Amino acid sequence: MSAITADAQIGGVSDARQGIYEDKVIRQFSVMAVVWGVVGMLVGVVIAAQMLWPALNLGQFGLEWFSFGRLRPLHTNAVIFAFGGCVLFATSYYVVQRTCQTKLFLPQLAAFTFWGWQLVIVLAAITLPLGLTSGQEYAELIWPIDILITAVWISYAIVFFGTLATRKINHIYVANWFFGAFILAVALLHVVVSLAVPTGLLHAYSLYSGVQSAMIQWWYGHNAVGFFLTAGFLGIMYYFIPKQAERPIYSYRLSIVHFWALIFTYMWAGPHHLHYTALPDWTQSLGMVFSLILLAPSWGGMINGIMTLSGAWHKLRDDPILRFLIVSLSFYGMSTFEGPMMSIKTVNALSHYTDWTIGHVHSGALGWVGLISMGALYFLIPRLFGRKQMYSINAIELHFWIACIGIVIYIASMWIAGVTQGLMWRALADDGTLAFTFSESVRATYPFYAIRLIGGTMYFAGMCIMAWNVWMTVRTGLRAGPVPQIKIPAVSPAHA
Amino acid sequence: MESLLLLIPLSVLLVLAIIGVFWWALYNGQYDNVEREGERILKND
Amino acid sequence: MLARMSNSTTVTGSDLAAGSVVPDQGLGSLLGQHRGPLTVDDDFLVLDDPIEQEDFCHPVQVDGRELQEAVLMVQGMYCPACSETVEAALGGRRGVESVRVHAATRRVTLRWDPAQTLLSALARNVGQSGYRLLPMRQALSVEERLAETRLLMWRLFVAGFCTMQVMMYSWPFYITEPGEIPYVYDQLLRWANWMLSVPVVLFSSMPFFQSAWRDLRHGRIGMDMPVSIGILVTFIASTGSTFDPTGVWGHEIWFDSLTMFVFFLLGGRYLVSRLRDRTAGALDVLMNRLPEQCERQLADGSFETVSLKRLRVGDVLRVQAGIAFPGDATVLGDSATVDEALLTGESQPVTRLRGQTVVAGSYNLAGTALVRIERLGRETRFAQIVALMEQASTEKPELVKLADRIAGPFLVAVLLSAAFGAWYWWQIDPALAVPIAVAVLVATCPCALALSTPSAMLASAGALAERGILVRRLLAFESLCKIDTVVFDKTGTLTQDRVVLREALVRPGLTAEQALELAWPLASASLHPVSRAIAAQARPAASAAAPDATTATSAAPDAAPQSAPDLVQDVPGAGLVLERAGGGVYKLGSAALCGLDQDQLLAQGLSVADAPCAYLSDEQGWLATFVMDEGVRADAAAAVADLRAMGLQVHLLSGDKVGAVQRVAQQLGITQVVSEASPERKLEVVAALQAQGAQIAMVGDGMNDGPVLARAQVSFALGHGAPLTQSQSDLVVQSGRLSELVQTIGQARRTMRILKQNLVFSASYNGSMVPLAIAGFVPPWLAGLGMALSSFVVIGNALRLSRLPDFPAPDPALLPVAAFTR
Repeated sequence: MSAITADAQIGGVSDARQGIYEDKVIRQFSVMAVVWGVVGMLVGVVIAAQMLWPALNLGQFGLEWFSFGRLRPLHTNAVIFAFGGCVLFATSYYVVQRTCQTKLFLPQLAAFTFWGWQLVIVLAAITLPLGLTSGQEYAELIWPIDILITAVWISYAIVFFGTLATRKINHIYVANWFFGAFILAVALLHVVVSLAVPTGLLHAYSLYSGVQSAMIQWWYGHNAVGFFLTAGFLGIMYYFIPKQAERPIYSYRLSIVHFWALIFTYMWAGPHHLHYTALPDWTQSLGMVFSLILLAPSWGGMINGIMTLSGAWHKLRDDPILRFLIVSLSFYGMSTFEGPMMSIKTVNALSHYTDWTIGHVHSGALGWVGLISMGALYFLIPRLFGRKQMYSINAIELHFWIACIGIVIYIASMWIAGVTQGLMWRALADDGTLAFTFSESVRATYPFYAIRLIGGTMYFAGMCIMAWNVWMTVRTGLRAGPVPQIKIPAVSPAHA
Repeated sequence: MESLLLLIPLSVLLVLAIIGVFWWALYNGQYDNVEREGERILKND
Repeated sequence: MLARMSNSTTVTGSDLAAGSVVPDQGLGSLLGQHRGPLTVDDDFLVLDDPIEQEDFCHPVQVDGRELQEAVLMVQGMYCPACSETVEAALGGRRGVESVRVHAATRRVTLRWDPAQTLLSALARNVGQSGYRLLPMRQALSVEERLAETRLLMWRLFVAGFCTMQVMMYSWPFYITEPGEIPYVYDQLLRWANWMLSVPVVLFSSMPFFQSAWRDLRHGRIGMDMPVSIGILVTFIASTGSTFDPTGVWGHEIWFDSLTMFVFFLLGGRYLVSRLRDRTAGALDVLMNRLPEQCERQLADGSFETVSLKRLRVGDVLRVQAGIAFPGDATVLGDSATVDEALLTGESQPVTRLRGQTVVAGSYNLAGTALVRIERLGRETRFAQIVALMEQASTEKPELVKLADRIAGPFLVAVLLSAAFGAWYWWQIDPALAVPIAVAVLVATCPCALALSTPSAMLASAGALAERGILVRRLLAFESLCKIDTVVFDKTGTLTQDRVVLREALVRPGLTAEQALELAWPLASASLHPVSRAIAAQARPAASAAAPDATTATSAAPDAAPQSAPDLVQDVPGAGLVLERAGGGVYKLGSAALCGLDQDQLLAQGLSVADAPCAYLSDEQGWLATFVMDEGVRADAAAAVADLRAMGLQVHLLSGDKVGAVQRVAQQLGITQVVSEASPERKLEVVAALQAQGAQIAMVGDGMNDGPVLARAQVSFALGHGAPLTQSQSDLVVQSGRLSELVQTIGQARRTMRILKQNLVFSASYNGSMVPLAIAGFVPPWLAGLGMALSSFVVIGNALRLSRLPDFPAPDPALLPVAAFTR
């Protein structure tokens, strides 16, 4: 018997449900993504301002829930999980349906993921300012919310993989591989890092402590970046860039190689967060080496995405949405170069605990994650609401330029601040004591915090422009008629 | 470094699992006609 | 609101589909409609014949239904978009269960329900889109080959993946002193390493073990032997030190070297296998044709269409014009005009009268011939020639024999060195014995050597295949370098495969165009090469004139006249006669038929002596003389000159008449000529030359060249020739351009040059590594790395052959698409 599998009907074409894509949940997530983007970035602006003017902590009014320490995790959770998370849900649900040419598996469960996720966010917005935290970076939420996250995530996995299992096209487009890996990895990461013994509804003791906890934390932290913020968004890139550019990805074969290479190199990069700590030297070195190796697959993906425009660069001139998507890749390249460099021990000796790290994070977050999300949303929202294009193209242009300038200002200021701190902290006087006090270094970096605030505010302003544009588009779309019911193209039963 | 007692076996298992997934992909014909798949998404909707 | 985007130069998918925009380079394929290049008007009914289907279909059970599955070739595909069209043509049809098109190998796997639809109907659908489906006779072997490559890729992936992980777990050992890592974690890392090496040894390394075992059973030592021993020794020793660190195995583990080594070895093999698949895929297209069918008379006098396989001796067949006779047969009608060019090389058609035999493989030229089958299959002359070809073909893979001669002793030396090294170092420091022995085995692994030849040849063959030159036998590259003589067939090789009209001498008062117009109704009624040549010239002229004369052919002069007003009769061996309804008789053909005296015409300067002529006459006598030319190929003279310049002797060996052969030889400047040679005589000539020490490349296209093509050291077939000849030759130049022949010889020389470079390099590498390894300077990981790098150097060097500097840019129309019909 030949090794050829039948490409016969999978899932049954006679199913009466077939015919219309399930886009309601995508609409919901897309709109909320924009909302949470505004919220998360606003909190970012607030805490940046607080670093300049500590009075803004409002401590004198006894409003400890407004203090930096509590708002910072709110910011990180809001931009990563609320904004980024909603973008990932929206785009993964969209892409998996279109590339499999089938409807979402169990749409009611998908609806649960939406409401569940919003509940998680709202609970985070309540608990974090109240000071309820597990103390683990990017995993601050207390254990009941962790359980809710687990429930939502398992449902997400069921919906996503169920849709894949009921696909009408045998080949699973590469973007879905990235989404799938992201979903499974995040599930594993979340469970492992959140293992804790509760003492009450609002508090638990983590299973890990001391340097063990540090190791687990950064195993989690870096893989969260790697899978949530990279693999997931690479999935977005691999679909939306070809669609917007109307050209196939530069080398599909390379994208497959890229996927597999990325998957198995990411797992051991974690220790680079712990250089010169109590972590054994050899573990640190391991982390360093593998962070460096990670450069190759990351850049492979970047080149693949950018070269998709090979022969059609003129499109960048005229299409601001495409610009968002492509420029995001250059920031991705920059960050994935900067990261390995910073994981080299000697470099890290300077950069660790400084604002350079913040600069690095934000170049990835604002430059890569932010811009690709915006590009994808600009693509999706008109289509989801029955419009040919966004309400205002000029607004997209404006958003693009404001965002880019904001990013550059942000990163540059943090680089300077970071290097300044590093140099000042290690400077020794002639007698071998430290040359500068900590407060001196704070004073020296103060102006750059101001510049950073400007950059961040610009980025936030861009997000507000987007919110307005989205609002107008949605409103016009809803006024023009009911939301579009997009038919699933008829796939001949024998189609491969 | 007790965490390694968890992390190392975990990653060995992951490696084996990933190899299994690749095996499935290969024998399911996912990598048979790679050249065309990049264009397929451009044709629908 | 004026959106910027509407002013942009964005090209949408619908623009492309509408054909209003030419897609730029990066797009790679047209989205939307794409039509294959063929005009397909076969009815494909033969595909439904169960006896035929036995060859290429097999039944499958799905949900209790009996379905059929077949793997078919698709002719006419040359870009990825073609697969979409083929799938679309098949996918939506009733009764089709599944369709899967593989663009790279031009195959389609089709599963259908015979109760709901016929394969012929499906094939016709696809035909309307411009692609021809052909049963794939080697389906099984292609499936096997693909499954093999897939398995190899799988082994490679496992090896690669595990290597990466093992590297990760080994890294701590590289950078720490012994004892720095607490015992528990040290062991944990070792166990992890061991676990990840197991799949590599048990699964990925299987090809090496299997081949080494095979060699061992035959009492040979092959190249995989040292490799296998190296792998096993390394693994066993490392396993020992992992689980018994204080034992005799020592404390070192080499899982990293082991996995890396296997990964790189497999990598080289995988690349070579991919190259091989690419080349073979192009050839598959050549091997497949529609099964033949013909009309057989039934007891009641009517005719049924049957596949050739069903024929029996004694069957009476009706063979239409343009079809080949399926067996040796006796003519039952008055006569038959046949073209035996494929067999004899004769450019003149032959008349066979009632009772005489027509030969299997010859073509019926005029009208419908009624014949009775006398011999079929193996007994036909056709088959005998094939048998002759197969006998004459002696495969002497020189390089393989050389490799075997050297490899054996070399490998024994390697094993002995390894054993020696192990014993020697055991005396000095037992802990070093294993790594050094392993290093010797690994470093001396002649994988670069093993890759040198196939990589060069495959890269070259692949590059040539994309230019339409198919290399069937890779070792032909080597033979091609050694040749000193090129022997050409004439008809179809040096000349065009048909005659062309050179000039027309006309009666005063008449222009050549008018003569052609008059000749048109006659010429278009016959498949005789001369008629076809005249018709080809006359067609433009005739299409201007009103085509009121319908043409009808009849096999015999006494057939009942058709109801059309004009009557064209074919007189076998003589020509054609046209009787106009309104009066007037025209004759086209031999001087005798036209009632003309050839000598007289020559004397009057109205004919030429050195070329075949056809005469046109009416009731008043001579109208025109059409002078034919065999049409020597445009690039033939240049090609012959180039070959001479390369230092090669050029001969002409033909079955055609002396006069015709001499004419061509003179035009091309060839002095060594043999004419009127039968297949056996051709073989004698070539054998004689070889006896004198000549190394011969033979270029031909006809069936009768078959045996001598096989006998020559290297054989070239040209693309339009007999399929069987093509499938037996070493190289096929599909375009038929002789200039490409010359370039191929150049490419063969480059190939051998690079091959030798590879061999020298790998031999030096291996040679220098042995003493270093024995002396202990090479740790196993370095040995593995060195072996990998040397392999990649060799492959990289070979890939230089992928560029073809002598050749002009590729013409997409010439991509391997077999364009021949029945």
